[in-house]
Amino acid sequence: MGLTLKSVLKAIVLLTVIFTFVFPIYYMIILSISSPTHIPTGAIYPDFFFGKWYEATSGEWARCITNSLIICSLSVIFNILVTYPAGYVFSRYTFMADRHLFFWFLTNRMAPPAALIVPYLIIWRSLGIWDTYQGTILAYSVFNIPLSVWLFTSFMKNIPKELDEQAFIDGFSLLMYWRKIFIPASLPSIGIVSFFIWLFSWSEMFMSTILTSFNSKPINNLLFITLGRMGSGVEYGLAAAVGVITILPGLILLYWARTFLAKGFTFGRV
Amino acid sequence: MNKHVLLVLPSVLIVLFIGIVPTICLINYSVQNPFTDMNAFLGFENFRKVLFDYRVAGALSRNLNFSAAALLIEIPLGVALAKLLYEKSKINTIASIVITIPVLIPPITVGLLWRLLIYESGPFTKFIKMFGIYYNPFRDPSQAFWTAVLVDVWHWTPLVVLVISAALAGMDRSPVLSAKTEGATGWQIFRFIELPAISFPLAFITLLRLIDTLKVYDEPTVMFAGGPGLTTEFLSLYVKKVGIDQWLIGYASALSLIYNFIVLFLCLILVNVLTKGRGLL
Repeated sequence: MGLTLKSVLKAIVLLTVIFTFVFPIYYMIILSISSPTHIPTGAIYPDFFFGKWYEATSGEWARCITNSLIICSLSVIFNILVTYPAGYVFSRYTFMADRHLFFWFLTNRMAPPAALIVPYLIIWRSLGIWDTYQGTILAYSVFNIPLSVWLFTSFMKNIPKELDEQAFIDGFSLLMYWRKIFIPASLPSIGIVSFFIWLFSWSEMFMSTILTSFNSKPINNLLFITLGRMGSGVEYGLAAAVGVITILPGLILLYWARTFLAKGFTFGRV
Repeated sequence: MNKHVLLVLPSVLIVLFIGIVPTICLINYSVQNPFTDMNAFLGFENFRKVLFDYRVAGALSRNLNFSAAALLIEIPLGVALAKLLYEKSKINTIASIVITIPVLIPPITVGLLWRLLIYESGPFTKFIKMFGIYYNPFRDPSQAFWTAVLVDVWHWTPLVVLVISAALAGMDRSPVLSAKTEGATGWQIFRFIELPAISFPLAFITLLRLIDTLKVYDEPTVMFAGGPGLTTEFLSLYVKKVGIDQWLIGYASALSLIYNFIVLFLCLILVNVLTKGRGLL
């Protein structure tokens, strides 16, 4: 195979693609280690000033990062506990209006958060769960629960039903069957669903800006406020450092996650 | 009915509370003026106001333009890139790993990334200025709109690539091989063999992206906060402005219901596409 025009063109296109997706991230990392006087020059190399990183990992920011981590981790536990049984039921049994119920879950995932936020704010305040961990996790469940029900159902369908029937004939109770056979068999799916719950809770910004203000304020809320009052280049370094922190979890898990990423965003349908 | 079916209850109860209860609240608030001194039953007055509000019409038409522009770029580009990345080689592997990065970045950070690129001395501004164009999206409305589209394309084309790549990898290759021996051109193979094979994922991702672009909030708000003028004020942002910032609960509830209904309707179409493919459950 020689150096044909076609292969050269293809290489150019691919290099452009790689550059397009890598450069913005490279630039953000550069800005996070540049000093406030260096940034306005528009240079694309850093001057290795780490003051903003210190700021982004201490004080209010550290508290919000911790809040984010707590909310995401508790969201994963809560949602897995609630939706794992539901996924099991949808993948094994047919019952009255099961299809409608299944579709109704999806409509909640699809509903625009902006259209629900007004009643959320009023209900959350009157119940006293506004600006608490449990309230934030509950609000995030509106997109997490449908997603994990759909994902669990699609993964569990690949586990043969005969396994259940055989186990129940052998006298297993449901709990025993789950502990001995079903949960070990569906362990990979629990990992994948946890990943998506974690990712979407970590990414959520709109509801957190309205349903939290201090106690359970996640990093995205504080970042949004900071960006709102960001003047001409003064805070860019700090915002960039925080931005790097928000993309770290995704980047760390990128290689492992890429094989099933399409599944999570399409509810296990593709 | 098996008693195990009851295990579905916890999920149902929670989604009832966070999905149905707020909707009932919305219906209740939408026919009155709650939390004001002059609260009274208004009937459909709020809905009438929504329908004749020029800002709603503006936000809706902008949002539809945004969706159309984003989809018309993202879908063909995504399919083309997926085709390009299909063959196995070193550079393709690197490119297909790199291309998944944006999908894993929170939308707010994508907004931040691009805001860093497009400020006065940012690299993107400099790049555009090389072509002799004066680029300042914070002043120029149409530049702001197209920058918002560009950011959406940057963020979500990778998802289209991922989905289509997965579909291409999963399809049966033997018709392609026999078509090749019969002397079919590359375009013919794509048009008559591959495209029908990926039609289901393609329709699915198109509708999914349509629904998502109708909900767009994070990136344009972080970059432009609705400005300049109203050029990047999309539906979500306007609902948030009237509902949370101005606290016009009755009016915002009517608007929310209509907004919800539009998305729900699209969702219904999405599921009908699904059922035609492989069945819902």
